[in-house]
Amino acid sequence: MGLMDQVELPQPVKYVFNWGRKYSLWCFNFGLACCAIEFIAASTSRHDFIRHGVIPFAHGPRQADLLVVSGTLTDKMAPAVKRLYEEMPEPKYVISFGSCANCGGPYWDSYSVTKGVDQIIPVDVYVPGCPPRPEALLDGIIALQHRIQNESLKDRIAGRRQDPITLGADAPLALEEGA
Amino acid sequence: MSDVLARRDRALSPEETEELLRDRLGDGLQRTVLEYGVFTVWVEQDAWVQAATLCRDEPLLAYDMFDNLFGIDAREEGFDVVAVLYSTSTGNRIALRTRCAGGRDEPTCPSITDIYRGADWMERETWDMFGVDFPGHPQIGPRILTVENFEGWPLRKDFHLASRAAKPWPGVKEPAELDEDGNVIERVPHIGDAPGPYDLDKAMAEQAQAMNPRPELDGPEDDDDADDEPAEVEAGPDDDPTVSGAEKAEARRKAQAEARAKKAAERAGGDGDEGAAQLDQDVYDQLIAEGKSERIARSKAKAAYIKAQRAKEGDA
Ligand code: SF4
Repeated sequence: MGLMDQVELPQPVKYVFNWGRKYSLWCFNFGLACCAIEFIAASTSRHDFIRHGVIPFAHGPRQADLLVVSGTLTDKMAPAVKRLYEEMPEPKYVISFGSCANCGGPYWDSYSVTKGVDQIIPVDVYVPGCPPRPEALLDGIIALQHRIQNESLKDRIAGRRQDPITLGADAPLALEEGA
Repeated sequence: MSDVLARRDRALSPEETEELLRDRLGDGLQRTVLEYGVFTVWVEQDAWVQAATLCRDEPLLAYDMFDNLFGIDAREEGFDVVAVLYSTSTGNRIALRTRCAGGRDEPTCPSITDIYRGADWMERETWDMFGVDFPGHPQIGPRILTVENFEGWPLRKDFHLASRAAKPWPGVKEPAELDEDGNVIERVPHIGDAPGPYDLDKAMAEQAQAMNPRPELDGPEDDDDADDEPAEVEAGPDDDPTVSGAEKAEARRKAQAEARAKKAAERAGGDGDEGAAQLDQDVYDQLIAEGKSERIARSKAKAAYIKAQRAKEGDA
């Protein structure tokens, strides 16, 4: 990214720049179980997250900004998720969609399920539910976009992340100041 | 292969299959069970490979398709291995079951990958989940379902789930309910036991209970044709074990039809007595005399009757 990770952008430039970034989130769907169906529902015409600037089904992790882990992550699959996440270019964001991805969900005592993707990759937004409705994903995306609008790219690239957002735990749009 | 389509008429019945297998395997065949529409043949460990070969190669059996293979934890007695085979020419399905040698410590079962190539990964999975070794398997490791460095055999009953030890059961109810003395309360759930909050749910639950009488303990059913249709799980209390599944199903259908008829009668109850009279008899007779069919006459007479009623109400 050259300059971006060394210089803090001036406020007006940052505003325009972040505005552009938040409305062109190329989304890489890591659909692992039932929740993936809800993700797909969110991408189709009724809920249609493309109108929020989320471009679904990026061709590969190297072209994606946003990773949505939807479904049950097993220990066997965990290395693959980690690897794909690492292939994504910075700045990258992760939405953990559904109870399974958040904490193991109904498989909390399973011998094979990773109890949350946050054990292997950093998560920006947690969307709770089993499965969450497509509206919940939209809510999560909007919360993420607010965060992107206000963040400093320099910090982001340097790996200084803010605390993750948990939908429902805080009031949705009062998450970030200046929202 | 001249016949591709399944020919049920060629299929051996379970009894015939048993007879044939007993003839070939001798004491290798322990017993056979016909449950839930699955014909299970228990064989000795030594006869396992021979039984599978026989099932595939014997023209009368012709179990040419390997369906699946899995393990069962038989508690103290060790482990069982079950192979399910299917015949594409007769449409029959058979389950071969054997108890592994070696007890709980080192269960082993001869591999049948030489006979059915498809058994390869199934045996690997069984090894992965139960720790049953399959001598003769081309390559049992590394683990395919669990991570490579996984320790233990997760589908064994005595496998400990670490999370369970660290965290109490998060649900409302304990998996086993205990009374004051610490004895496990046994509850046998029945259909219709837990109706939902609405009247509709309760009505449905009642209906379900009426349809599914609670099973009195009666012996295992020995119906003959359960191969065609799954054996009835709940048997009515008045069921005679000698009555075959088909007859039972027939009886049940009858009972359901009667219940429906009764309900319909109840619903119609209020105006049942007028029901027959809602025809204008004159119009009906006239139409019949004109050579109209009975149905048309009836409907027209009905319409005339309703019209007359309306007119009367209007006058009043
Ligand atoms: S959270 Fe629920 S719906 Fe989503 S993947 Fe897990 S079990 Fe399926």
